[in-house]
Amino acid sequence: MKGNLKTMRHRQYILAYLLAGLVMMVASYSLPRLLPGDFVTAMYASSHVTLNADQERDLRAYYTQRQGFGRYLVDFFKLNWGYSYAFLTPISGLILQALPWTLLLMGGAHVISMLVGFIAGVEAAWRRGGYVERTGVGCMTVLEGIPEIGTGVILLLVFALYLGWFPASGAETSYAMFSPLGRAWDVAQHLALPLATLVLAYFPGNFLLTRGSMVMVLREQFVETARAKGLPPARVRYAHAARNALLPMVTRFGLRIAFMVTGALVVETIYAYPGLGTLLFNAISMRDVPLIQGIVLISSLMVLFVNLALEYVYGWIDPRVGYAP
Amino acid sequence: MHRRIPQELGRDPWFVTGAGVGLFLLLLVLLGPSLAPHEPYDMSFFPLSPPSAGHWLGVNDGGMDIFSELLYGMRNTVEFGLVAGLISLALGVAIGLAAAWFGGVPDQLLMRLADILLAIPAVMILILVAALFRPSPLALALTLSIMLWPTTAKGIRAQALVVKNRLHIHAARQMGASGAYIIVRHLLPELFPLYLIGFATKARMAMFMEASLAFLGLFDPSRKSLGIMISYALKYYYLDIWWNWLLPPVFLLSLLIMTVTFLAISLEKVFDPRLKEAM
Repeated sequence: MKGNLKTMRHRQYILAYLLAGLVMMVASYSLPRLLPGDFVTAMYASSHVTLNADQERDLRAYYTQRQGFGRYLVDFFKLNWGYSYAFLTPISGLILQALPWTLLLMGGAHVISMLVGFIAGVEAAWRRGGYVERTGVGCMTVLEGIPEIGTGVILLLVFALYLGWFPASGAETSYAMFSPLGRAWDVAQHLALPLATLVLAYFPGNFLLTRGSMVMVLREQFVETARAKGLPPARVRYAHAARNALLPMVTRFGLRIAFMVTGALVVETIYAYPGLGTLLFNAISMRDVPLIQGIVLISSLMVLFVNLALEYVYGWIDPRVGYAP
Repeated sequence: MHRRIPQELGRDPWFVTGAGVGLFLLLLVLLGPSLAPHEPYDMSFFPLSPPSAGHWLGVNDGGMDIFSELLYGMRNTVEFGLVAGLISLALGVAIGLAAAWFGGVPDQLLMRLADILLAIPAVMILILVAALFRPSPLALALTLSIMLWPTTAKGIRAQALVVKNRLHIHAARQMGASGAYIIVRHLLPELFPLYLIGFATKARMAMFMEASLAFLGLFDPSRKSLGIMISYALKYYYLDIWWNWLLPPVFLLSLLIMTVTFLAISLEKVFDPRLKEAM
């Protein structure tokens, strides 16, 4: 019975993610084909991009070819994602080049903000009611309200422009001959500001949520028991109480992903960080529709994959999840 | 339910701050056109001139008055947020109630659809639609609402299932009340706090998305928006005009989103007793 319920819930969510992936593939395949008439001309009529005759013919040919959905899928898995006419290279190359930078930035920001947010939240709940804790919660609530555009621009103006401590754009100094260690330092310096912006955006939510759920957990009787047994406070906090406050943070991650992807796009653009966000920005400003489509599809599928992986993480963190209908 | 919600809200500093600043911003939005000293599309001023008595925040690179642009840009951002918030709220309430009321197969279908929509990052669909079809802001707000209803619908459904099985609903049914009567007179009013919270969080997300998409260049470039102003001003950040051109839209946008966040947080806190204990 127990195993049955568990697989039921998993199956239901896995199905939802697979269907969502299929929806994205179908949308990416069919939306351009839904466009009426001579949309290539229409698309460029109101933009500042002008195409020469060859480009226009190629683009029209690209969009009018009657390729079946099956063929499209096969091409997709063979990394044959089409051709960017603004950069004059295959789209797969452009995306694979940008992807590591985005993963470094986003992954780093999430790891730092979750780890620090969780620990700070647990400690704050433990010291509930104190002056430091109340001030901390106030500051975090204010910070939670500031959008990434705001933090990004302010950090850029203060630390890159006014103080000059960090470079304002890019991911590394181009054409510099660095030793491996020197290169790592260079990359870290370029990463600092965009990373700080994203951490400031993600941290308050993780902190407030962990603190909230931890306050509830600390009221439970098993915490009292652990304390009464004479365990050291740190052990009561982390080994007994905090693991029960972990799940809401992971759940929130899945729910806020639309918000976070938007923010990451903006932050990359502000600092001209050469990840998917900046690539997308450039593709949009040059109206490179095949490239826009490619980036949208790949990043959505990646988000789906992360969410799917989280489904398994939930079950691992909290075995009770499996029994919930 | 003998709680005095207005008094409790009045005592919450977050709500008071949010409501105060929110009213001020709303006034700016409503009175924007009459407050603006110039036409926002008037390009006849000397480009990049510093602030003066005639131009409180100076003039941008296209010869347009920055203060007037700011007022009109905020209007557009707020309008987009409110429209998307309202439509997604209406969709969420209707679908959530329908799922809870009918149950069975419709419920299953609607909730699985919600799961699929929750899994897709909304911004990606918006970018795809905006890049291909170049829709009007209203059409884009509608697209966003179609992506945003699931969280509201799930919340409404869960609460409606609880309310549906309370005694007074059974009593109403015993007395021969029709389904429509029960939904309109009992369910809809009793779910009231959920609407407010749902609306505030959705409007916040929509304003944030509008500014971000405008910043990325997905709207008509001549449309006034805080996001577009930031994106244009950022191109000149190394000049000495960042404080009168770049900072005002950044500040205003942050203030706007912060205000809605405060309202959403305090509403949630006051209406959800479990959360209130934790704060």
